[in-house]
Amino acid sequence: MREVLPKLGFELVDLDNVSCCGTPIKSVNIYASLYLAARNLAIAEKLGLNNLLTICNGCHLSFSEAMHYLGKDESLRGKINSLLSEEDLKYKGSLRILHVIDLLHDMIEAETIQKSVKRKLHGLKLASQYGCHILRPSKLGRVDHPENPRKLDDLIGLLGAESLDYPEKLDCCGALLMLSHPDAALTFAGLKIKAVQDRGADGLVVSCPSCHRMFDERQKSAGATIGSKLNLPVLYFTQLLGVTMGIEPEKLGLHLNRSPVDELLEKIS
Amino acid sequence: MTITDLMTSKKPDAGLRLRVLGKIGEHKPYNCYQCIKCTSGCPSMKMLELKPHEIVALSKAGFIEELVNSGIIWTCATCLKCKERCPQEVAPVDLLLALRNLAVEMEAKVPESYLRLVSTVLETGFIQKPQETVTRKLEKVNREKLGLPKVSEPNEKFKSAFLRALEGG
Repeated sequence: MREVLPKLGFELVDLDNVSCCGTPIKSVNIYASLYLAARNLAIAEKLGLNNLLTICNGCHLSFSEAMHYLGKDESLRGKINSLLSEEDLKYKGSLRILHVIDLLHDMIEAETIQKSVKRKLHGLKLASQYGCHILRPSKLGRVDHPENPRKLDDLIGLLGAESLDYPEKLDCCGALLMLSHPDAALTFAGLKIKAVQDRGADGLVVSCPSCHRMFDERQKSAGATIGSKLNLPVLYFTQLLGVTMGIEPEKLGLHLNRSPVDELLEKIS
Repeated sequence: MTITDLMTSKKPDAGLRLRVLGKIGEHKPYNCYQCIKCTSGCPSMKMLELKPHEIVALSKAGFIEELVNSGIIWTCATCLKCKERCPQEVAPVDLLLALRNLAVEMEAKVPESYLRLVSTVLETGFIQKPQETVTRKLEKVNREKLGLPKVSEPNEKFKSAFLRALEGG
């Protein structure tokens, strides 16, 4: 992100003093999770920013939900604002919440991306993984269609690769079950990786860090859980975009992926 | 006349049902006509036998304490398909989250890792402290080495507001 987006003309501002978005504690206390979301929004608002970019689907949903609930319920907004006033913050609801996919698919011309691509991905077949929370619930206004998302596939296509159409595309990665049912969670992840692998994909491109963690970092344990040998390169979309732009893999954090991304990098160079 | 669970002789609890209905969320169990579309597409149904339509029916009938004390409410992966697909806008996933919140309040059996997340957010602002990690070549790196900005520690004012938020839920 930090490497790729500035090259496409976006200015990124780091927020100081922000905290967790609230998603992970929703199960324990929804009210406190809304406070966390609203607090982060208020910090960005205080800096006079108009757009808040998230790389994570969980953050995108948390912020969208906070804006929804605080927007329709004045007394709730008042209560949350009284908590925020301890830190001299106030939630106004003036931000637009954006996901990386919004930015790259809707806010710049496809040509701008195509022009920045130095190495086209011809001959590669890549599967997409959107992640549940940027697709649903559509009533809140999400990043793409809840049942038939296309944007990430379109972006993969822009880079010259073929995006794989596969029946398991909408299957959940299981990340949020890791806390209570890790074996089931790893089975979710393992079965999906296997389905993609069996269809002959050269890799899996994700747009959510939680999915990334399940499919990349936990690929080995997922394989052990379902009793299959899994060997699928998994990377976040901006990592793939960066590679095609000719940015060094280390600058894109590709040395930190746990899945066999080198196999994919060799095919690209 | 009220329903009685013939297996346990338990009676519905209208007071607890009101507490669940009052939680923030878009759950409307009374809208449900049991079409079972939620359960048909539920990934946790396949793996862990979660049946969202049953959760809705039991909530509607008022068997809240039974749900709160059952491990089944912790099997939802929050993929949100049930909320998206429900023709009646029942939002079973929001109902499950409300039941989980109530389980915490009633000090029922809650998976400990969920509670640990909350205390870590209180201490660090996040669900974990910034960590060292290793590259695929087993070289140790941290945020500084990766050229990432420092993550600030939470101040006391945040901590006290967050604690108040936890109590106010």
